[in-house]
Amino acid sequence: MAEVGEIIEGCRLPVLRRNQDNEDEWPLAEILSVKDISGRKLFYVHYIDFNKRLDEWVTHERLDLKKIQFPKKEAKTPTKNGLPGSRPGSPEREVPASTQASGKTLPIPVQITLRFNLPKEREAIPGGEPDQPLSSSSCLQPNHRSTKRKVEVVSPATPVPSETAPASVFPQNGSARRAVAAQPGRKRKSNCLGTDEDSQDSSDGIPSAPRMTGSLVSDRSHDDIVTRMKNIECIELGRHRLKPWYFSPYPQELTTLPVLYLCEFCLKYGRSLKCLQRHLTKCDLRHPPGNEIYRKGTISFFEIDGRKNKSYSQNLCLLAKCFLDHKTLYYDTDPFLFYVMTEYDSKGFHIVGYFSKEKESTEDYNVACILTLPPYQRRGYGKLLIEFSYELSKVEGKTGTPEKPLSDLGLLSYRSYWSQTILEILMGLKSESGERPQITINEISEITSIKKEDVISTLQYLNLINYYKGQYILTLSEDIVDGHERAMLKRLLRIDSKCLHFTPKDWSKRGKW
Amino acid sequence: MSKLSFRARALDAAKPLPIYRGKDMPDLNDCVSINRAVPQMPTGMEKEEESEHHLQRAISAQQVFREKKESMVIPVPEAESNVNYYNRLYKGEFKQPKQFIHIQPFNLDNEQPDYDMDSEDETLLNRLNRKMEIKPLQFEIMIDRLEKASSNQLVTLQEAKLLLNEDDYLIKAVYDYWVRKRKNCRGPSLIPQIKQEKRDGSTNNDPYVAFRRRTEKMQTRKNRKNDEASYEKMLKLRREFSRAITILEMIKRREKTKRELLHLTLEVVEKRYHLGDYGGEILNEVKINRSEKELYTTPATLHNGNHHKVQECKTKHPHHLSLKEEASDVVRQKKKYPKKPKAEVLITSQQPTPETLPVINKSDIKQYDFHSSDEDEFLQVPSPVSEPEEENDPDGPCAFRRRAGCQYYAPRLDQTNHSFENSELADLDKLRYRHCLTTLTVPSRCIGFARRRIGRGGRVIMDRISTEHDPVLKQIDPEMLNGFSSSSQTVDFSCNFSRTNASNKHCENRLSLSEILSNIRSCRLQCFQPRLLNLQDSDSEECTSRKPGQTVNNKRISAASVALLNTSKNGISVTGGITEEQFQTHQQQLVQMQRQQLAQLQQKQQSQHSSQQTHPKAQGSSTSDCMSKTLDSASAHFAASAVVSAPVPSRGEVAKEQNTGHNNINGVVQPSGTSKTLYSTNMALSSSPGISAVQLVRTVGHTTTNHLIPALCTSSPQTLPMNNSCLTNAVHLNNVSVVSPVNVHINTRTSAPSPTALKLATVAASMDRVPKVTPSSAISSIARENHEPERLGLNGIAETTVAMEVT
Repeated sequence: MAEVGEIIEGCRLPVLRRNQDNEDEWPLAEILSVKDISGRKLFYVHYIDFNKRLDEWVTHERLDLKKIQFPKKEAKTPTKNGLPGSRPGSPEREVPASTQASGKTLPIPVQITLRFNLPKEREAIPGGEPDQPLSSSSCLQPNHRSTKRKVEVVSPATPVPSETAPASVFPQNGSARRAVAAQPGRKRKSNCLGTDEDSQDSSDGIPSAPRMTGSLVSDRSHDDIVTRMKNIECIELGRHRLKPWYFSPYPQELTTLPVLYLCEFCLKYGRSLKCLQRHLTKCDLRHPPGNEIYRKGTISFFEIDGRKNKSYSQNLCLLAKCFLDHKTLYYDTDPFLFYVMTEYDSKGFHIVGYFSKEKESTEDYNVACILTLPPYQRRGYGKLLIEFSYELSKVEGKTGTPEKPLSDLGLLSYRSYWSQTILEILMGLKSESGERPQITINEISEITSIKKEDVISTLQYLNLINYYKGQYILTLSEDIVDGHERAMLKRLLRIDSKCLHFTPKDWSKRGKW
Repeated sequence: MSKLSFRARALDAAKPLPIYRGKDMPDLNDCVSINRAVPQMPTGMEKEEESEHHLQRAISAQQVFREKKESMVIPVPEAESNVNYYNRLYKGEFKQPKQFIHIQPFNLDNEQPDYDMDSEDETLLNRLNRKMEIKPLQFEIMIDRLEKASSNQLVTLQEAKLLLNEDDYLIKAVYDYWVRKRKNCRGPSLIPQIKQEKRDGSTNNDPYVAFRRRTEKMQTRKNRKNDEASYEKMLKLRREFSRAITILEMIKRREKTKRELLHLTLEVVEKRYHLGDYGGEILNEVKINRSEKELYTTPATLHNGNHHKVQECKTKHPHHLSLKEEASDVVRQKKKYPKKPKAEVLITSQQPTPETLPVINKSDIKQYDFHSSDEDEFLQVPSPVSEPEEENDPDGPCAFRRRAGCQYYAPRLDQTNHSFENSELADLDKLRYRHCLTTLTVPSRCIGFARRRIGRGGRVIMDRISTEHDPVLKQIDPEMLNGFSSSSQTVDFSCNFSRTNASNKHCENRLSLSEILSNIRSCRLQCFQPRLLNLQDSDSEECTSRKPGQTVNNKRISAASVALLNTSKNGISVTGGITEEQFQTHQQQLVQMQRQQLAQLQQKQQSQHSSQQTHPKAQGSSTSDCMSKTLDSASAHFAASAVVSAPVPSRGEVAKEQNTGHNNINGVVQPSGTSKTLYSTNMALSSSPGISAVQLVRTVGHTTTNHLIPALCTSSPQTLPMNNSCLTNAVHLNNVSVVSPVNVHINTRTSAPSPTALKLATVAASMDRVPKVTPSSAISSIARENHEPERLGLNGIAETTVAMEVT
């Protein structure tokens, strides 16, 4: 049993959490930060295998101190452990952990499902092995671990600087990375200058800076403890009070405020309600400061040029960053267009969501970041945004795909949109002259502007592709059809392409974005 | 599964896929294993997140139920939509326009302050409002400016005062509050701002730094201009446009005022006409009570070129007599300087004559339109440093150009306090400010109060003013003054005219001659008189000694000039000196000319080049009474010949001839002559003895352009002694350009102005500027335009010409 005072960053322990069904759970969590507010300690916890957006500050009462695991002692000198850029992106990089057993395991927190007896646990904690030299960490950890645990423990990297290219050889899994990132005293900045890090970033030749092309999607090379924690407690935007999900680089002095007040229309941030009040006497915007390119009913879309309207674009990005984990605001907004979806009422055009889009994408991306603001989520707006993005692609005569990585919600939304769109087409096909209806993947892609790969992955995901009698066929089972029809009944918000007034610009011909 | 022995073909996106539905569907069991042959597409998610608990649950739920179930959604932090003060906060309604909303992105940045007041500020405001009125917006603007002017270093109170256009007390209060607040403020600024990148790269990993510029990307594009540079250009453009707007607005104001003045003047004239006040008595009576002030706003602040030159000269030739202008500017000595003092040219003296005196003549009435351009403009543009475009200014070589880095003091006003204790002198004293008692040597007489100006081409123009003392003054014989004039020479040796101090008269309108003389002698009244040659010599020698490297030899020059005149082959016979007859004839000519031009002005027609047209309002019987006497090239010629024929008396005549009423009416002496003229002149010069070859070469080299002397030197009291310098310069130029064969040509032009010139004149007339734009000047201006590129060279000419003259 550990004392509250002993809890440091990097510890793992079960934390009480209430799930959606109002049941208490004790998922394993990691302490990312500790703070002291008027003598009361608060712990920032990340629930392992839960999305970061559920991370929160908790009091010690919610910690199960009996099951605490302390982080392994770390070498004091900067190590390569951070490997911030390493994202195990593709399946083939997922090397079974056991293959690394002979490799260099690091003293990282161990994911424990068994109960330790305390003395043994103490052996494993930093206090027991003080100032372990660097090289020693390349040895296997003491054998009080079970084999199972060994499997779970994955080396995030090699600790020895001379080690070359470990990242590709020994990719780490997510939990290990998290643990490392959370290590106290770990200076990720210094890590960033390591050679391994360079190999990660070499694509743009600028070590320690994300690539300049592409969208604002973070490649995690700047993932550090600061950005892993939410920094804004609450945002007031119009009628809504939003609890941010992720870090956002609002001016640092504003992060201590209990509530950050945003102007609903220009999204300018103020430190107090009074400031907002004053601001509203000066701000006469009642809609996003761009050109309206779509209106049907109360739904409108505004196009904003990230170069021409910097202040709004930046404010929008700052707000969006609160809800988008993989977004980075490292670079300016110049190469982007922002499409803001609004809902009109007598007060004005209220922002519902938006997506950004590169003016020129080299990789067929038609969306960079996409977000439905939390108060509007799960009401079909996300799909509407996605649909609109494909409508734009249709006007442009291109296929497009959202920029990767997708978030969990992004994946679900896109899959849902793709499924419904493709099924709509497939079910609409009529047989001609008694022949069985047929369609090529390319045709689907052309009709929908969904990129071919996404069509295939959707067909796969829906399990429609089958190989029959020497050829691939698409099979629409009863429950697929029923499910689709039920879903479409609920999908009332649709984009009407007749209401879109949009002329694509050829940005490549312009001197500037 | 034995069927798996064959290899499934790759999925071909271009190949049609037949669709099987419902009961048609084959037994899927046959297909399953084969299905694996299609490569699994990546989800596009981060691997580590793909395994997240809620997502997996949701995915499996979807696959099972084919639609979302409430319980299977991914939980997110809550959001509330119950801000109850929303309607109070966002006041008013917004009606959806029928049309799609379309905005101009650059109209967005309104000038509102970025700073938003908080409740702490409100407390302060409430406190301050007990003492003075300050609105929240005003306060925000103040804070905003302070914030934006401060970086790490806070602005000082002094700077703040410059920054804020507010009451001192308020500034102090707000400033102190701001400093305190700023100190307590956690952030770098009271206006919360996104952290900016630093160029040294130290912020590359700062998570709070956002929106870095994509510099590298920008470099990769070939045709991309540096954004910053173009941005700065835009800023500059904007600045300049706004300056243009300011200037235009000021012009508008000025023109309005002028129109008003015109209307008023007309009204006065009409009233006087109805009253039969032809002699000005009634007006004088009315005017006598008026304060000086209104009439004297200008003299002290004149900014025109001559004014400054005056000062310049004075620094070199300090006089003990405190002239009014001497106080004003201490000017850095310029290179141009040395040419001026060289004074073998005729120069009219000009004496301050107070306009406040009950002196009314026609010129008074018209005064406004002739006042207009030059002085006014200078007054309104107190630009500290000469702009490049001023180089092109029609004032030409005689124009005063401010130099960067040179400090110019405002004229001292206290000079006007220099008053006579003698109350009798009071009214004369008033006159003195603008006009000066002037005598001429040829004809040798006193012309009363006048002031001297330099017209275009360097001609000297005397603006005379009639006073009630005139009868007395007319009796003054320069000879009477000669006795002591030399003694007073030291006062302004830079002048060709000796300035003597004329004495005082009584208030009762008529001072006796002897009184005046005695006043002059006792230096209480100043009197200008053309100087004698020997004086000039000593003068120029002084100059020489001051400006080493330039040899001054006035004698030689005068000799050369004479020679030039003699050798000139043009039809105009200007030989030797100028006789009084010539002068008189010329005066007649001038009157005619001026009448023509006035007529032109009034009729706004172009038909009046017939020389005999009489001025409708020709009330001025004498030349000096004429309101606007415009000098044309003929007179210029005359002047020039007068100059050239060096003897002192003739200069006096010229001065006299050019002397007109006290107003600024007189047109500028037009430069005339073409490059050819100049050239030939130069040739003539070269043939004349006494001119060094070197200078010739220089001059010739420079004078291929049309030679213009846009010496728009409006004289003012302040310019008094120094007009000389200008004049010297200008008149020298005149020597070259005017006294030449082409004068004839110019003369013809004047009598039959070219359409363009007339047009120009008319246009100018409509702009109240006519008096200055006579046909020939228009011609010259055309010429100038034609030679625009060479204009810079012209300045050079001025310099070299002077040098030539000097040597």
